[in-house]
Amino acid sequence: MINEPQHKISRKGLTVWRLYGIIQTTILIIVAAIVSYLTVRFVWPSWVHAIAWGIVLLSILFSVILFPKIRWERWRYEVSEHEIEVQHGLFIVKRTIIPMVRVQHVDTTQGPILKYYGLGNISISTAATTHIIPALHMEEADRLRGRISDLARVAEDDV
Amino acid sequence: MSNTQYKKLPFAAVGIDALKTFKAFLLPLFLLVIANFSKFTLDVTSSDFWSSLAMIGFWGVILLFSVFFSIIRWWTFHYWFENGELRVKYGLFVKKKRYIPFERIQTLNYHESVLHRLFKLVKVEVETAGSSDGEAEVVLTALTREAANEIEKEMRKAKQQLTDVEQREVVLETPTPEVTAMYKMSTKDLLILASTSGGIGVLISGIVALLSQLSDIIPYEKIYGELATLAKYGVLMILLAVVVIFAIGWLASVILTYIKYYSFKVVVQEENLIITRGLLEKKRVTIPLKRVQAIKIVENPFRQLFGYSTVSVESAGSTSGEDSMVIFPLIKKRELEAPLQALFPHYEWQQQFIASPKRAQHFFYRIDFLWVLPLIGALSYFLWPWGALSIALIPLVILFGIWQHRTTAYAITNKQLVLRYRIVSRVTFYVEKHRIQSMTQRATYFKKRKEVQDVTIHVMSGATGATATVKALEEADAQRIATWYHHAKALDRL
Repeated sequence: MINEPQHKISRKGLTVWRLYGIIQTTILIIVAAIVSYLTVRFVWPSWVHAIAWGIVLLSILFSVILFPKIRWERWRYEVSEHEIEVQHGLFIVKRTIIPMVRVQHVDTTQGPILKYYGLGNISISTAATTHIIPALHMEEADRLRGRISDLARVAEDDV
Repeated sequence: MSNTQYKKLPFAAVGIDALKTFKAFLLPLFLLVIANFSKFTLDVTSSDFWSSLAMIGFWGVILLFSVFFSIIRWWTFHYWFENGELRVKYGLFVKKKRYIPFERIQTLNYHESVLHRLFKLVKVEVETAGSSDGEAEVVLTALTREAANEIEKEMRKAKQQLTDVEQREVVLETPTPEVTAMYKMSTKDLLILASTSGGIGVLISGIVALLSQLSDIIPYEKIYGELATLAKYGVLMILLAVVVIFAIGWLASVILTYIKYYSFKVVVQEENLIITRGLLEKKRVTIPLKRVQAIKIVENPFRQLFGYSTVSVESAGSTSGEDSMVIFPLIKKRELEAPLQALFPHYEWQQQFIASPKRAQHFFYRIDFLWVLPLIGALSYFLWPWGALSIALIPLVILFGIWQHRTTAYAITNKQLVLRYRIVSRVTFYVEKHRIQSMTQRATYFKKRKEVQDVTIHVMSGATGATATVKALEEADAQRIATWYHHAKALDRL
């Protein structure tokens, strides 16, 4: 087995993913509250409460605590002269190789939350696919973007 | 060359264009009419009169608008040849111009719908290497045959001039190049193709969708009541009904396939594959051989039984609506090698396949139990006792999984990868290393424990790209493919 790709993504990425989980859970809490209210109002059976708040609990457990952690631990990437390699996944671990000659363009994107933490996503497009490395330090993302586009420019190929 | 005379499309283009726009509204119109048929009336005294009138008015306005916009489009659309370029301009308020150098034109695709044929016209789609987003660069809605040939002649002239300057005079006088017929479908083949087409499932779901749409007219409750009585007479009757529905679906798919592939012909002309087909609608599609990204041999179960297969290619920037294009709709697997070898000499067609390991077998059906078991439970509970028959699904699913597992294999040579897999039809996917855009290995926790991995490759095709996946290869084998692909660049240069 060729070794795992070297670099992990920023530790702050984990925080951001937790934040996403919290936002998602907040929405669920609002929904659960509405359902609870309706249950009381229209005298629905009481297990409706249990289901609604059970889902909220599961959401806290999984999308705030567990999943971001696993995902962050798993995320690896490496950019060498000839190819980009990424590894990610929650239950299914995926490893992808993108040869430099196949890279068409590289973008960096940054939403408000990522911006607050000084992070950015980098997306690498080939003629057929797009691959995203999430939550890199903005300087690292910019550096990587420059490096990939330099390396990709070296070789032009027929498609 | 300096023929700067503006040309317009023939006036019939208006009708064709308008009908095309209107056709998009046709299905909802049809359903609406059927649903409201009983209420439809032109009797002024009736309470439904005004709503009927409103409906007619509504669709009339839509039709009128389609015609109006089509006339404007036709009025403002001009094309001409200038300076070795095909130039078009169009637009009423925002004027657009597009110049395409003839030597840059990759393909000219022709399409004749029934309407086109009525007026002896043809729709021409002009594609360049850049048109990879699923849209042709220029679409000429309707042209006379002569006008279409003129464009083709100009294109050929420009390309010839580019390649051999010395022979220009000779070339100009002999603009028709050598043409070799590659594949022609006989009526017998066409009938076999049609009768073994796999479109049945699609059709059945289509019929079901239609039936549910028509629920206003068909008294389902009554039918259901009768069905319940029927059930008393025996499951046999229900089975019979199912068989009849299948037969209708099958027949429809036979007819559709027959119409689509009627007089299918492939010719090779100057590094291009030219495919013509169609009974009511005629199509002519050009595929430049050098843009072919991968080759797919598909055998659906029926055809595999009789040793037949279908060959299609994944082509970069194919804009004809289909991502992969069929080049041989029906060909004996044994007779496949010679024509493929002739078309794609740089591929290797004899392969030593390496299969998925035996211990990976259960990965092909175990996951299905997630939906099969609850389904059986539900059926048995609600439809006792007949529902319990659904327990037969378990061996079926297992057998199906084993079948898929048996098919799964890969073969690798210096420059080429072949993946073989099955969902229902057996697919053998040939791709050269430098055509693979990216590659992914995938393993769940369970697969990791058994040391197997899935391998997916992506190639460019049409607007979205195409993928091929083999499940549960030996981890070492998956790694071998990865290593082979890792050094893509070094080997590319060979």
